[in-house]
Amino acid sequence: MLGRFRSFSFVDRITRREGGRVEGLYTLPLGVHFPASLMAEAVGQLAAWSAMAQLDFALRPVAGLASAVHYHRLPSPGSTLALQADIERCDAEAVAYSGKAFIDGRLAMELIDSVGPMLPLHEFDAPEALRADLHTLLGAGAAPARFAGVPTPALHDLQTTPGERISAVLQVPDVADAPYFADHFPRRAVYPGTLLMDALASLSLQLVRQSAPLAGSPVAVTKVSQTKIRSFTAPGARLQLEALLQDIGPQRARLKVAARSDDKAVASARIEITPWSAS
Amino acid sequence: MPEQAISQAQIDEVYPKVAQIVADALGCEADEVKPKSSLIADLDAESIDFLDLVFRLEKGFGVKIPRGKIVEDARGPLPEAEFETKGVVTDAGLARLREFLDEVPAERFKTPLKAADVPRLFTTETFCKVVIRAQRALAG
Repeated sequence: MLGRFRSFSFVDRITRREGGRVEGLYTLPLGVHFPASLMAEAVGQLAAWSAMAQLDFALRPVAGLASAVHYHRLPSPGSTLALQADIERCDAEAVAYSGKAFIDGRLAMELIDSVGPMLPLHEFDAPEALRADLHTLLGAGAAPARFAGVPTPALHDLQTTPGERISAVLQVPDVADAPYFADHFPRRAVYPGTLLMDALASLSLQLVRQSAPLAGSPVAVTKVSQTKIRSFTAPGARLQLEALLQDIGPQRARLKVAARSDDKAVASARIEITPWSAS
Repeated sequence: MPEQAISQAQIDEVYPKVAQIVADALGCEADEVKPKSSLIADLDAESIDFLDLVFRLEKGFGVKIPRGKIVEDARGPLPEAEFETKGVVTDAGLARLREFLDEVPAERFKTPLKAADVPRLFTTETFCKVVIRAQRALAG
């Protein structure tokens, strides 16, 4: 069984904590797909370690807001992410930070103005266990290749109007079907906001790939902005996802995306998709 | 020291930018945001939206808005025990709120008022005043 600190932890080692800056490393396992959104998760986790330590493991941040995430390079199996986070503010209400991930010295992802609201840590994990984990990360580091991948988002009832909109129902896995719930979090399973954003990105890509003039072109999500995660999603939940095309041209498509649970808004963001060359 | 009054002209000066930031934070159209809009009752704001709004106001105006400051200022000189009893705002607390939140239409001060519902009173103009106080604090 993949236990705590194993299946959804994207910091192998913390290499520097000085002032508001924290840096770390994470090596992607071989043979496992690593969604680009998990680079933002990795930077968020790095910032969370710093914030939890600063607040003596009484509180922990959860996903909340991000002004923008820019994707410049996609991670490939086996590559190492050099992570950094700059904590602008950290108190009992929230942590505010920006951060970056580099691959081979080149900027791969930039997270701008992210805010994570604080909640009592003991509701999510054992404070002493997290202290021990931090000690490991600051020392020898965690064992490598812990991540075994995440299930492809289960999108049902897909309805597409090319050039306009796409909607689907996302079936969030049950705890037994997704090892990441063991890590996220040990005392309270929560569907990671970054995976929800990945599902919304995947839906947006499906729409753009069917919409002129980008239909048939290789495209990728290059920017996600105004991200807001409003509430927790439990294992087994069904979410209604929707992506609305705002404008599309040969160089860029812009979409508004949202996830709802019944009539309650769960998350929203804006997504930009551009032609993409893997080189 | 009693607070220096905030004039309508001062509110009007910052209002357009505050209203745009409110619209951006809540994801609504700018023309849906009115000076007397209750952010919760009229614009469906939730706690995460207030967090977003405060950070955007800080960035937009180059000010610092200490956490918990809005509710703390609303309570003013009253000790917490005199402001609320068992989670309900006292008469003295209500009098203080009516004075501090004088931009809020009088009929919205319903009794009994739960202390947790005080943010339901906050309007776009309330946040104009928050910005003006933060600017004053910055100016020393």
